[in-house]
Order: sequence, then C-alpha cells, then structure tokens
Amino acid sequence: MADEPDRRGFLKLTACALGGGLGLAVAGPALRLFVAPAGETTVATPTEPIDVGAAKSFELHKPTKVAVLAPKLTDAWTSARDVVLGAAWVHRTSADKLDVFSAVCPHLGCGIGFDGTHFTCPCHDSAFDLVGARQHGPAKRGLDTLAWKVVDGRLQITWAKYALDTAAKTPA
Amino acid sequence: MNKTFLKLQAFVRERQGGGAKPPPATIPGTASFAYVFGWVLVFLIGVEGVTGAALAAFYSPSTTDAWASVAFVQDRETWGWLVRGIHAHGGSAIAIGSGLHLVQTALYGAYKRPRELTWWLGILLMILILAWAVTGYVLRWDQAGYWANQVEVGIAAGTPVIGGQIRAIALGGNDYGNLTLTRFYMLHVIALPALTIAGIYLHVKLARRHGTTPYRATTMVTPRWPSQTVKDFVAMAAVFAMLVGYTISQGGVELLAPADPSQAFDARPLWYFRWLYELRHLAGSWEKLAAMLAPAVAGGLLFAVPLIDRGDNSRRRRIAIGAVVGLCAAIAALTMSSVIRDANDDGHTAALAKADLAATRARHLAQQYGVPVTGALDVFHTPPMWQARAIYKTLCASCHDPHEIDRVGPEIAPGHGDRAWLKQFIKDPSSKTNYGKTVLGKGEAAMQPIELSPDDLEDVVEAVYAESGASDVDDAKRAHGKKVFEKMCSDCHSLSEGVAGASGPGLGGYYSRDFLVGFIGNPKSAVHMGPDAEMPRFDKDLTIVERDGLASYLLWLRTASKMDVDSLDPL
Repeated sequence: MADEPDRRGFLKLTACALGGGLGLAVAGPALRLFVAPAGETTVATPTEPIDVGAAKSFELHKPTKVAVLAPKLTDAWTSARDVVLGAAWVHRTSADKLDVFSAVCPHLGCGIGFDGTHFTCPCHDSAFDLVGARQHGPAKRGLDTLAWKVVDGRLQITWAKYALDTAAKTPA
Repeated sequence: MNKTFLKLQAFVRERQGGGAKPPPATIPGTASFAYVFGWVLVFLIGVEGVTGAALAAFYSPSTTDAWASVAFVQDRETWGWLVRGIHAHGGSAIAIGSGLHLVQTALYGAYKRPRELTWWLGILLMILILAWAVTGYVLRWDQAGYWANQVEVGIAAGTPVIGGQIRAIALGGNDYGNLTLTRFYMLHVIALPALTIAGIYLHVKLARRHGTTPYRATTMVTPRWPSQTVKDFVAMAAVFAMLVGYTISQGGVELLAPADPSQAFDARPLWYFRWLYELRHLAGSWEKLAAMLAPAVAGGLLFAVPLIDRGDNSRRRRIAIGAVVGLCAAIAALTMSSVIRDANDDGHTAALAKADLAATRARHLAQQYGVPVTGALDVFHTPPMWQARAIYKTLCASCHDPHEIDRVGPEIAPGHGDRAWLKQFIKDPSSKTNYGKTVLGKGEAAMQPIELSPDDLEDVVEAVYAESGASDVDDAKRAHGKKVFEKMCSDCHSLSEGVAGASGPGLGGYYSRDFLVGFIGNPKSAVHMGPDAEMPRFDKDLTIVERDGLASYLLWLRTASKMDVDSLDPL
C-alpha cells in the first residue's frame, strides 16, 4: 500500500529534523570550543608597573623609545619571562615630569616612530605632536598615555592596550 | 586495443553501475585557450595543496617557534626555499588567475541566465582565496606578517557592533599569542581549503551542467578530450614554468626578522589589498568609510553583473562589461599608484633596507646557532658571549676599548693578561696603554718600571701568569720566577691568594676567573687597586652571573687574536 501523503510528510520532516539535529549535535560542541577563547584572557600581561630603566637616563626634551618587557607572561598554555609586550615613548618635559605614550598607533596598531619633531606612524601617516595630540592623518585620537611612576629612581610603566580606531580611549 | 584491456574495461564499467557510457564532455565551437583558466586555477590550488602539505610537515604554530620553523625550512632544508617560494607566489598566481578567469567569463557573457549561480559562486570563491592569503601571511610570524596582521585585525575590529567579537575570535582571546597562530593555522590549512574545495566542486559541477559559453553562438560541438585537454595542460605547464621561474629569480620569498612588538615596521598589506590601502590613503579623513565601502561596492558591482546584463540588450551588455573592466582598471591603477608612492619615499626605502639587514642577521644567527626555545627574538642573543659582550660594550668599552678616543682606563685588547702583555706591563706600567691615563699611573704611588734580566723577566712573568690557573705553565720557570718575585716584587705585591700587597694589589690568583669576578665587582677593595682606583664597583649594577660572564669573556680575549674578535658575530 502506498504511503498516504500525511505519513510521507511526517517521515520527511523526521528525516530532516534528525539529520539537522545530528549535524548540530556534532558541530555545536566544536563551534563552542572554537569561540571559547574569545571571552577569555588568554594572554595575561602583568597589570603591575614594569621597570623600563633608570629615570634619570631620560633626558630633557629628548623622546626616547623603550621596549616594555613583561617580567612574567602567560600565553595560553605557556609561561615565559621577559617577553616583549611592545614599546613606549618616554618624553621628559621637566625635571620631574614625564610624558609616557604607548607606541601602539591608536589608528590601526602599527609601531609609532619619532622623526625629530613629531611622533609618526609609518603605516598610514598619522602624526602627533610632542604632547601626543593628533596633528594629521587618519588616527581618531591622540597617542595613548600610559600610567607611570618613579620608584627608587627607576621608571615604571603600566602596560595597557586600547581599542583601535576610536575617538575614545577604551581598553581593548 | 588488446582483449585483456577491453575485458578489464568491461569489468570496471559493470562495477561502476553498468549501463550506457555517459556522453563525453563537450565544448561548443572549437577548443580554445580562452577556456583554460578554470582548470589552470584548479591546478594551482593543487600546487598549493602539495607544497602546503610539505610545509605543514615543518611548521610549528606557536609564538616562540613559528618564525624559527619557517626559517629552518627556508635556510636549512634542501629545496625548502623553493617549495616555500612556490607556495607563496602560487597564492599570487591564483589571485591573478582568478582575475583573468573573471574577465574571460565576463567578456564571453558566461554569467548570463541560467549561469548566474556559477558566477556568484565564483565571486564567493575569490573572497575565500583572499582570506586564504590573509591567514597564510601571518603564519611566518616575521615583521611583515605580524604587522600586516595587526592592521588587518584592526580593520576587522572596526566593524560596527560585532567588531570586538571578531577581534577576540580572530586572536583567540584578548591579545596576540599562541592561540592566534593555532587558529590562523587551522583556518589556513583546514577550514578554508575545505570550504574552497566544496565551492570549487559546486562551481565546476554547475559550469559542466550549463556547458562552456562560446563567444559567438555556434552549433558546432567538440569533445573536450583530447583537444581542449591538451590546451589545458599546455597552459598549466606554462603557468607552472612561469611560477617556478619567477620563484627562482626572486630567490624564493622573503622572510624578515622575527615579529617584534617593540620594533616598528612600515607595514604594507599583501599586494592584492594594495588598492584598498591606496584608497584609504586618498580618502583622508573619509578613510574608514572608504575602507568599508570600497570592498562592498566592488563586490556588489561584480554580484550585480548578471542582473544588469539581461536579455539581448547590447547597451546593458556594454554597461556590465564596462563595470568589470573599469573595476579592474581602477584596482590596477590604485595598486600602481601605491607602489610608486612607496618607491619614491626615501624614509620607507630606508626602513625596508634596515628591516632587510635585521632579517639577514636573524636568519644567519638562526642557521649558525639555532633559535632559543624562549622565543625567536632571542635569536639575536645567540652570538657567543652575547650577554658579556653587550655589557662590555655599554659599561666597559668607553674606558677600556682601544678605539675609544676618550678612553681613561688601561687598554683592554686581545692578549690582555697573557705573557707578552705581562712583560710589557712590567717594563712600563704607566704607559698610555697601561695605567698612564689613570690616577694610579701618576704620582708617587704609581708602579715604576722594573729592571730585570731577560731570563728573570720571563720567569717572573711565568710565575704571575701561572696564578690564572693556565694549563700551559712551565713549572721550572715558575719556581724560579717565584724567587725573583720574592726579591723584586714582594715589597709591594703578594702572591698569596686573597692577600693584599704592602702597597700594591695582591696578585694571588691573578687573572683567574674568580679573581676577575671579584675585581669587576669591587676594584676599590684593598686586595685589588685600593680606594684610589677610579674604576667604579659593579657588584651592585651587575649580577654575579653577568660578572662571571664578563670574566669568561676576558679570559677568552686573553688567548684571542684580533681576527678572532673581528670574526665574532655582530651584536
């Protein structure tokens, strides 16, 4: 006896539901795993200030680039010492005042350089003046300042990365 | 054909399901080189698969190892540079080939009803191929790949609303790290190939079902095999020859120094994206809009081609073809403009030259000494005695290096502390190369030249030299030398270890490693040069390991020639 239309419809629906459900059951956990790290702090950089050298070694009105090295860093399953996080520009403006800028361009994250008068980005030609204010180019804000303090004559910088290409400075 | 073959053929055919032989694939009109692009692209993707599989057998996707494993293939393994070069330039060949395929099918009107799906699938495949390139570029984890990826992820992160999520998923967390590489690797070698191959399967199946589109309608039909197949293979061979030729002429593909987040790099996108890069540049403050709109406009235009050109309207056809050709011309012009701008930019050229220099050094060191497991950047620290030499250069050289014009301390050069050096020192302790430039070499406290017979001098030198623990000491000479020392030197100096002389430094254990570590730590101690010494103490600024490193370096220098010093790898 031929199947009645109802029965055939039911079987079709069941086959599709089973097939689709099975697919989801297989793909679901895999997809969940794939996106899992997105919400995690997989790269744990130190939140405490990092020593970058003797404070007196930064001369007046002479911006100097320093590499910022994490004394200890965990990256997913590894931990390591003295890992290069990035760089910062240190500019002494008076005997006891410094400007410390992240060398990460607030536009799209390239490394900021100094051409003698301006901080410049080699990728999309943004330029910033000595106090970090945007002069020209596509960057939407000035250079990001980093918190610093001098302890026992040593300059310590708190490293942080900020969201790119936004007018406001918000943590990345 | 012989009987056995026919039997075998019949056997296989029956097991394939029997029935009539399917009709052979045909092309309208005659075979033509215009129809080769599709199969050439399939061939090139096969080339990428084979070369990629070989490279994957070496690649190690971690921040510490990625660059090192690529450098190993590039510089150490037989034909590694060639296979890696073919793989990288093969990606470019696919991009060019896709463009030509697109132009050919557009000119022949192969997008028209009922072939719209084939055309759209083709556009989707081009996007997948670009994604393939992006995910591959970062894997080498050198300066170019790393910084280009910063910008690419930065752009993606600028997507409204979900930008932050895209960034987090792409990077595998909050920042660049091991998970960034493992997922880009997975996308590059598993997800994108799977999607692309599935897409190609459908694309080819559809193309076969609808058949090849001739330039002008014809009723004539030619079987693909063998006349078109031969043309396909000729084209594949020509393309492969060009690919290999280009790769060899370029010496493979570049590999710059390991990714260094503290070292800025003039990042440029892969050449396929140069037009977008240039557009951003030209758009000024509208750059973000341009960057988001341009790909959408380009993609939308290509997508719309079958919708614009419907029916037999030649005006509509001209518009559609004009759009495709115009788009290609605009992309080519923008690309050229960007390349020319960079070529004329002295700062950029200088930055590239500097990056090349760092690359050469890093790869040479990797080849010579291997890459430390602590990370590829540490390859710069692998030259022998790197740490000691670096400290020496920053802390010691200004006072001791013979090349320093303002040198204020005794000269330290190859052979310092050996027999010949001791001999000349005893003859003239206050010469310009000895203590002449220091307070200790001036005034009454300064050591005076000692008059000794040649034999006595040689023996006393042997006695002092022996204090370092050197293994080539002549015991008879040393014994006699000690007697001479007792007579001529012991009024001021002592040979008992750790004991200061009456009015000069103690020479017990002189120039042994332990002696040097102590001397560098505090030259002003009573057993060494005393409180008048101008050399500062270094036991606070340098760790014991660093001072020990310096001591080892000085010991090496004692037996080294100038040539040995010059042949050390630069720091």
